[in-house]
Amino acid sequence: MRKRFRDTALALAKDDERIVLLFGDVSVYLFKDFIEAYPDRFYNIGICENAILGVGAGLSSQGLIPVMHTITPFITERSYEQIKLDLCYNRFGGNIVTCGASFDYAWDGATHHAYTDLAILRLLPGMEVIQPGSVKELEVLFRSQYANGRPTYFRLSDHPHTIDTDPVFGKAVVLKDAGAGVTVMTAGPLLGDVLEACKDLPVNLVYFHTIKPIDREAISRFRDTEIVVVHDAFGLFEAIAEVPQLRMTYRGLPDEFCSCYGKLTDVRRTIGLDPASIREFLEKKLEH
Amino acid sequence: MNPFCRGIREDILKIAKASGHGHIPSCFSVVEILCAVYATIRHDPKDPAWEGRDIFVLSKGHASLAHYCTLARLGYFDIGRVVSFGAFGSDFGCHADRLKVPGIEVSTGSLGHGIGIGVGMALAFKIKHSGRRVVTVIGDGEANEGSVWEALMVADNLKLDNLTVIYDNNMSHGRGLQIMNPAEKLRAFGCRVDEVDGHSVKELQDALAARPETAVHAVVAHTKKGYGCRTMVCDAYAWHRRCPTDEEFTRLMEELDEETV
Repeated sequence: MRKRFRDTALALAKDDERIVLLFGDVSVYLFKDFIEAYPDRFYNIGICENAILGVGAGLSSQGLIPVMHTITPFITERSYEQIKLDLCYNRFGGNIVTCGASFDYAWDGATHHAYTDLAILRLLPGMEVIQPGSVKELEVLFRSQYANGRPTYFRLSDHPHTIDTDPVFGKAVVLKDAGAGVTVMTAGPLLGDVLEACKDLPVNLVYFHTIKPIDREAISRFRDTEIVVVHDAFGLFEAIAEVPQLRMTYRGLPDEFCSCYGKLTDVRRTIGLDPASIREFLEKKLEH
Repeated sequence: MNPFCRGIREDILKIAKASGHGHIPSCFSVVEILCAVYATIRHDPKDPAWEGRDIFVLSKGHASLAHYCTLARLGYFDIGRVVSFGAFGSDFGCHADRLKVPGIEVSTGSLGHGIGIGVGMALAFKIKHSGRRVVTVIGDGEANEGSVWEALMVADNLKLDNLTVIYDNNMSHGRGLQIMNPAEKLRAFGCRVDEVDGHSVKELQDALAARPETAVHAVVAHTKKGYGCRTMVCDAYAWHRRCPTDEEFTRLMEELDEETV
């Protein structure tokens, strides 16, 4: 997905001189073509996330479009106040594009895991929160939103799904409407595992790439069903719960650090978010 | 005392008294700094959004009342509007909102933010090959924040010679983490540093006019919290957020005209 981010930024920069990339010493080699083409519009600011956001806000104040990129927890958790004040409160738009979603860096341990970002960023007034699940979603949504003048968050993943969803910003995708009594709702790359888990089960399936604004209309269509939110982060469940009086269950993260190392699939299996565990959970739900 | 600066202090005292809000000593320490900045940068009170203007960012946002009173005396708006300072529905909060007050470029309040945004503004002018400059004021207490030094490192690395950082060294943190050698630290972070009497408009203006060509410019302004009123200088901590009683107000107004502050 990072390569598609690079290709999209490079393509957009050709026609939009306002785009300026501010990196936190990650993905720099990957962007060597961009640096060569636009040396005065790429800055490897350094390992200083607070400064990246402050500088981005300053660029934005003067009509430029900052694209601020580094590892998810370091910019979203360490520098939350900079996002809140420098961008949101000051109404300075810009794009935060992160790598290392949820347990992409499973082997690095809990310091590099990121599952609060979507939940905390959606709380900030004026913020848009996007969790692209596929490379196509990333490209379509980035092109659609990068110049909107608002703070917009894009959470990249190294494990995208390959399902074609025809993405439109702010719109959920109803992948299965079987008229069932149970509706599975999920977001981001986990869709691949979720679809595998429930493809032949009698459930509805609704998918989100945009966490904020959440598509209340799509949720409301299924308000009379039992909603099971399957997600490898926080934030989607809370966003869906904005629609009142839903019957909801969360199948997601435990209240503990996942410090088992290994690969993404190892963590998902350990916390019950691999296809077999999801299926087992849904089958039990359907029995009741 | 410079009559213009005296007038600003009088406005600050009157509005703080009327509103019950203030940070008066912190405001009083930056009055000459604000006068010198606006006497130096390119700006137009009749057209605050003029595209050719230089940018001033008050990173130590709790001195907002001093900033409002300065902008009012420069003609950005009528001082009468500032009397609602801090009141429900007022445009003039105890920390400024850039969307409400003409001349305010950044909404500040939480310390350690304005300078980083100022670095981005200075970079934007470099990218655009513009001759505009950025001046920001940070407080010595604010310099406790790591984000201040992150911003300075980045500014040095980007060689932002269009950025001036004024360090209001009003010794506000003797009871906490007081940085005793700010000029030395700023030099270590790549700045070219001038040290001036922060209550001398002339010294400040001379420093602001003599910008280095290849480095971030830092001006350490040695100031006193509460400068202008002997009572507040002598007991700055007690007055940090306090507003005067009727009796104290009368005395403070008299002290503005005393020779020794």
